[in-house]
Amino acid sequence: MRLFKYRFLQTVRDRAPLFWALLFPLIMATFFYLSFWSMSSDGLGDGEATWSAVPVAVHDPGAGGQDAAYFREFLRQMDRDLLDIRAYDTEAEKLAALADDHITGVFYVDAEPSLKVSRQSINASVLQSLLDAYTRNADILRSVMRDHPEKVASAALAISAQRDHIVDVDLGGKTMNPNIAYFFALIAYTCLSGAYMGVSASFQGQANLSALGSRRSVTPTSKLRLVLTDLAALVIIHFFNIMVLTLYIRYALQIPLGIPMARIAQINLMGSVVGVSIGIILGCTSKAGMGMKMGLCVLASLFPAFLAGLMYAGMKNIIEQHAPIVNRLNPAAVLADTYYSLSVFDDMARFHRNMLILLAMSAILVTVAFVQLRRERYDSI
Amino acid sequence: MIQIENLVKRYGELVALDHLNLEIREGEIFGLLGPNGSGKTTLINCILALLKFEKGTVTVLGQQMKPTSYQIKRQIGVVMQEVAVFDQMSVKENIDYFCGLYVKEKIRREQLVEEAIDFVGLRSHEHMRPKKLSGGLLRRLNIACGVAHKPRLIILDEPTVAVDPQTRNKILEGIQQMNREGSTIIYTSHYMEEVEQICTRIAIIDHGRVLATGTNEELKLMIKPRENISVQAIALDEAQLADIRSLPHVLDMGYDEQNLRVRFNSDEHNLIQLLNYFKDKRIPFGRVFSERPTLNDVFLEITGTALRD
Repeated sequence: MRLFKYRFLQTVRDRAPLFWALLFPLIMATFFYLSFWSMSSDGLGDGEATWSAVPVAVHDPGAGGQDAAYFREFLRQMDRDLLDIRAYDTEAEKLAALADDHITGVFYVDAEPSLKVSRQSINASVLQSLLDAYTRNADILRSVMRDHPEKVASAALAISAQRDHIVDVDLGGKTMNPNIAYFFALIAYTCLSGAYMGVSASFQGQANLSALGSRRSVTPTSKLRLVLTDLAALVIIHFFNIMVLTLYIRYALQIPLGIPMARIAQINLMGSVVGVSIGIILGCTSKAGMGMKMGLCVLASLFPAFLAGLMYAGMKNIIEQHAPIVNRLNPAAVLADTYYSLSVFDDMARFHRNMLILLAMSAILVTVAFVQLRRERYDSI
Repeated sequence: MIQIENLVKRYGELVALDHLNLEIREGEIFGLLGPNGSGKTTLINCILALLKFEKGTVTVLGQQMKPTSYQIKRQIGVVMQEVAVFDQMSVKENIDYFCGLYVKEKIRREQLVEEAIDFVGLRSHEHMRPKKLSGGLLRRLNIACGVAHKPRLIILDEPTVAVDPQTRNKILEGIQQMNREGSTIIYTSHYMEEVEQICTRIAIIDHGRVLATGTNEELKLMIKPRENISVQAIALDEAQLADIRSLPHVLDMGYDEQNLRVRFNSDEHNLIQLLNYFKDKRIPFGRVFSERPTLNDVFLEITGTALRD
């Protein structure tokens, strides 16, 4: 208990890892909220009284099959509300109008719809957001058709509700706002950022990495005890970090996560184990310096989070379509999917599958971390 | 207390310890003297079972030393060359943490921690974090963390590197006090004066080999008798210098118009015969210094090179 107490104190007083593991995600959450959540829910609502539709043109060669038909219908629903679709005969006329600033953008109707804008502006951002929102919803629709064909009608309704920019249609879960994916990816990223604390602890446990490691290794306290104490303290501290972020998102930013807190806590705990273990492994697998290993931590937390949709919410779905195994092996993607599956679909089977994957990852990572840390004699120090 | 037989440790092609044999007895302050890179720290790490080695045995307190020799480790205190404390914990918390890795009983541990704080003179700094301490105070904290549990065997690996003379003296006094209180000390250093000052027995180590072992006096007896004499004398002429060079046992000499330095290969009667010459020739002279051989001379004689940094 005394060892635990001191490891706890030492960790919570170490500001650098704590910044990355707690403060940075809190800042990111606030940034996400200000960037698109407030806009998608409250911001547009507040501005509706003075809102004027964005002038655009639509170029529709008539190809693209069913996917293009969805987009065509989507644009039709948006016309005169968010969009002011103007008629031109040829693509050249549309591009000329764009160049002359008569319109803000040109939508291209195809299986993979696209947008052309002349320059960056608020209206151009609105058009881009609209296209992104459609793309994400199309992905959701496809995944709903694959996993829950009985709920396709509800999903279609959700897409039509997109015109209000407030999507709150019950698919069994509590929310279907596409921007929620960013927050789940952020929580998943935060889980992995436990690696920063794991790296520090790793350094202090290995005689070949630090003088502290040497000093701890020559004491009569067994390595097993030291490692398990460190791991327990770090997992608990980091679990606390993730819960602080989750509660901040839910109650301070007022974002409905759509999952009971007890369930979130289960996922967060598993995420904490995975994150800290990754850090321990990164910390003790080579003799690189602390700066280098902290750099590896950035890579090991941000890159999986990027693949899980932290920077672009559609990324996870793109990977799901082209290389689904990556989403099964990427801990950030598994974590984000676990939150998402409960929030959107209330899919307990998927939740249990993901929890099993996380459990297996935790077991493997903790075992590897322990095997690395318990080394008692070194080739060189 | 420690028996090392035929120890061989290699780092790739480099032989760090080359069939090294050593015995350290209970109650000694045993000095391991050698230049940087001579194998001292490698030897310490092998004794502590931190390093793998290719060949040989290390016996501590009558038992072969292994990483899991917890009963032996309980009786050893180690002060590493590099300061090894937690920056985020106070002086007292650090000492309590490390002492607690050896002593489980709370009341006993609290008492030991208090004694250690007083021993290293950090009472007024006990609530400070290490980053607030000066280099010398940090070294003292490093020592307190290693010895608070009052071990039978204390290993200090260059504990005075980069400290001021005052702190160095305090550390050396502390080591002697711990020895008087019953601890056996292994002290590694490349500072010969320190080793000469406190060690009861010394091993000279270089290129992974023990070149000589003995007390300070025993080591000096191993080399040829020698004395260096310096005399302040102005304007000696060539004839006088030739006379001095022809005195018995003169090895070589140097003169810079003010100071004469003469090396003798004997350690008896050199000063008398030199001063008699000055008196007979009525040569005025000022201050006179006579130096006995130092460990540096021993090292020079044994290895053929001066103790390098």
